Amino acid sequence: MAAINIDSVSKSFRLPHEKKRTLFHNLIGIVKRQMSYEEFWALKNISFEVKKGETFGIIGKNGSGKSTLLKILAKVLYPDSGTLAMNGRVASFLELGVGFQPELSAEENVYIYGSILGLTRKEIRQKYDQIFEFAELENFKNMKLKNFSSGMYLRLAFACAIHANPDTMLIDEVFAVGDTAFQKKCSDKIKEFQNQGRTIVFVSHSMDSVKQICQRTLLLNKGQMVMLGPTEDVVKEYLKVT
Amino acid sequence: MWEYRELIRNLAVAELKNRYQNTSLGYFWSILSPLFMALVLWFVFRKLFGGEDNYALNLIVGIMVWRFFSTGTCACLNSIASKPNLVTKVYIPRHILVFSTALSSLISSLLEFIVILPITFYLLGHIPWTVIFYPLAHVLLFLPVYGIGLLWASSFVYFRDLLQIWEVMLSILIYASPIIYPVTIVPAYLLKYYMLNPLTHFIIIYRDIMVNGTFPGWDSLLIVLIFGIGTFIIGNFVFNKLQRRFAEEL
Repeated sequence: MAAINIDSVSKSFRLPHEKKRTLFHNLIGIVKRQMSYEEFWALKNISFEVKKGETFGIIGKNGSGKSTLLKILAKVLYPDSGTLAMNGRVASFLELGVGFQPELSAEENVYIYGSILGLTRKEIRQKYDQIFEFAELENFKNMKLKNFSSGMYLRLAFACAIHANPDTMLIDEVFAVGDTAFQKKCSDKIKEFQNQGRTIVFVSHSMDSVKQICQRTLLLNKGQMVMLGPTEDVVKEYLKVT
Repeated sequence: MWEYRELIRNLAVAELKNRYQNTSLGYFWSILSPLFMALVLWFVFRKLFGGEDNYALNLIVGIMVWRFFSTGTCACLNSIASKPNLVTKVYIPRHILVFSTALSSLISSLLEFIVILPITFYLLGHIPWTVIFYPLAHVLLFLPVYGIGLLWASSFVYFRDLLQIWEVMLSILIYASPIIYPVTIVPAYLLKYYMLNPLTHFIIIYRDIMVNGTFPGWDSLLIVLIFGIGTFIIGNFVFNKLQRRFAEEL
């Protein structure tokens, strides 16, 4: 069974001529009968399948539609046409620590972030100690998040994320942060996920990490599929083009 | 919705904690502000309406009802636009953000209403038994707060002047409802239109059960229920249409 099946998906953005953010401006626009936006196709006719347990890379230049595609997979954006089918629990990491509340303690934030990632209260309680151990923050459970350094913040967010236990993970270069030791921890963890048979979709500019972890890769350019195949070949093609 | 109950709970609790921790007196302030408002209005209008039965208590109940309606809808209006990360960086059904905000307003309001009980006892000498219907009335009021909340939360993402517009409408509403004055001063030829205001019926219902100790009339209950279900259906419909492009607008 495929973990992800995406069929002829297209997405357009509305580029407004001038940003109308108020009811007042919009009423004026209707009266004057202006065309208030232009269409820009960020993705056109994208179709592919990601098998269960596969690590799938998406590469391309800036503005090629990688992030848009990942956001569609994450269901943050709706496609204008085409269909999308996902099987199993999906966790998207477009950013780490989404929903963290600076005024609340680390402990409370673990419960909030955990439930955003789809964990139940019971599951969070079971993993609670592991999360703080992994983040190396056992002594800061009751500290308010606003007093955390950016490194501590990141470690806590990452520790929650990797304990989320999803079937499919969507990763947008978020793990390319932190110092070398932290990055080592991240790539170790990704390998562990692969061994556990989880599906990973990985968007990156770093060809080295794509080559390291992805079995198949998709190359996008200007919102269209250029090439889809074994990572080695696709990366070669990408480097040739740029 | 049931599937996300723990997330809803966590978000609602976080919102309450934020609301009360940011002011030094927290919960205490949230009770004091409506009581002070009632005190000021009582002081100004006692000569005019002080002769009415239970004017002071009616005033407090009216203000509490209006307060849940206005702070609840305003908080909901902001619930999407103030949390762009939870819309653009992760997928959770967006109406959960509105629902958890409405829920935290409901809980705040329930806590505020508790202080009415000792005041009622002081002013009336007893507490009407019909007070037990109060949570039911509050659930009835929750429905339009959530419905209007859905409508405004989704529209506010696109039209950023809605908050100002809604605040003006709310300040009109406080004078178009029998909060400061009794219904009896409304001229007969206007009464037909006056009674179209659903908030009026809410206030009548709350006063019946919390002050007069009577069961509210079926006509008021029916109007309030129709209003609640109507706003919920409209709010839900508009929200579902507009939420598709939330991530692009925020």
